[in-house]
Amino acid sequence: MHIPDAFIPLPQAAVYWIIALIFIALSLRWARNEMRDEKVPLVAVLAAGIFAIQAVNVPIPWGTSGHMAGAALAAIVLGSPFAAVFVLTLVLIVQGVIFGDGGITVMGANIINMGVVAGFVGYYSFQGLNAAIKNPYPAAFIAGWLSLFVAALVTAVEMAVAGTFPLELGLISMGLYHAVIGVIEGGITAVALYLIYTARPDLLPQPRGVSG
Amino acid sequence: MDTKNLLYFGVIIALVIAVAAPFIASSNPDGLESAFFGIFGAKEIQGSELDEDAAGAAEEQVQEITGNTFSFASPFPDYGIEGLEKAGEALAIVIGTLLVLAVALGLGRVLSRSE
Repeated sequence: MHIPDAFIPLPQAAVYWIIALIFIALSLRWARNEMRDEKVPLVAVLAAGIFAIQAVNVPIPWGTSGHMAGAALAAIVLGSPFAAVFVLTLVLIVQGVIFGDGGITVMGANIINMGVVAGFVGYYSFQGLNAAIKNPYPAAFIAGWLSLFVAALVTAVEMAVAGTFPLELGLISMGLYHAVIGVIEGGITAVALYLIYTARPDLLPQPRGVSG
Repeated sequence: MDTKNLLYFGVIIALVIAVAAPFIASSNPDGLESAFFGIFGAKEIQGSELDEDAAGAAEEQVQEITGNTFSFASPFPDYGIEGLEKAGEALAIVIGTLLVLAVALGLGRVLSRSE
């Protein structure tokens, strides 16, 4: 879902950068206030793991492939959508600057889609679903799926505003491919969460309002 | 599992994925590229044949639409190292994984301390 430079006119790309910078500033505030010393290695390992897993493009039908974004996982494990913005911003900067994956002028848009949109959708849908069904793993699967699907639709809208894709065909094709790629996102999010919670049950989200 | 072991385990998993990635990853266009090629007539939305000439033309066409001709020479484009094929890709992704780990650790240390 990494947008290359040519897909968005520069003035629009600048607007996305400004919006992204606001969220990056908020994610840095999260890091200063909420990221304790002992949490730093967990954040770093999640970022490294998400970078690596993003290199694994899984084939889907229609001569297409897709990979996990990881924002839902980061937000759920670290307990904040701003954690996902923090982690995905680092990953996207390294991908864009060192590996030419995703454009430079359009990096703000990529941070919005894969960090902000996927992070917020993943985090809040997980919170709601986990409260409703009281089982974090199916909740994580659906939250992962939804995070990628909604991010893809937002990308399609940006492409329509850019004049690159017609709106309807963009939404249909992006929606079709990412409905399938979302299964990969949801599956890995649920499995990774299971592995992390099995190794460290204390990281499980505690119900709100209960002091322990 | 204590924190230290969990994190070492996590780094090892990330590195195993990084080394394996070029050998197991699909080189098909990703969802956005595939939508782009479909919309610009280089493939069918639900087809799997990509017309390479039309794909190249589409990339020039989109630059004319947006006027964004910015280009940037990254050190390891497409996760590759020149002349090293798959092994170079594995090495590039390992370097990227370790770089993300180091930057996140460094930045995290600075930010978590700045109270």
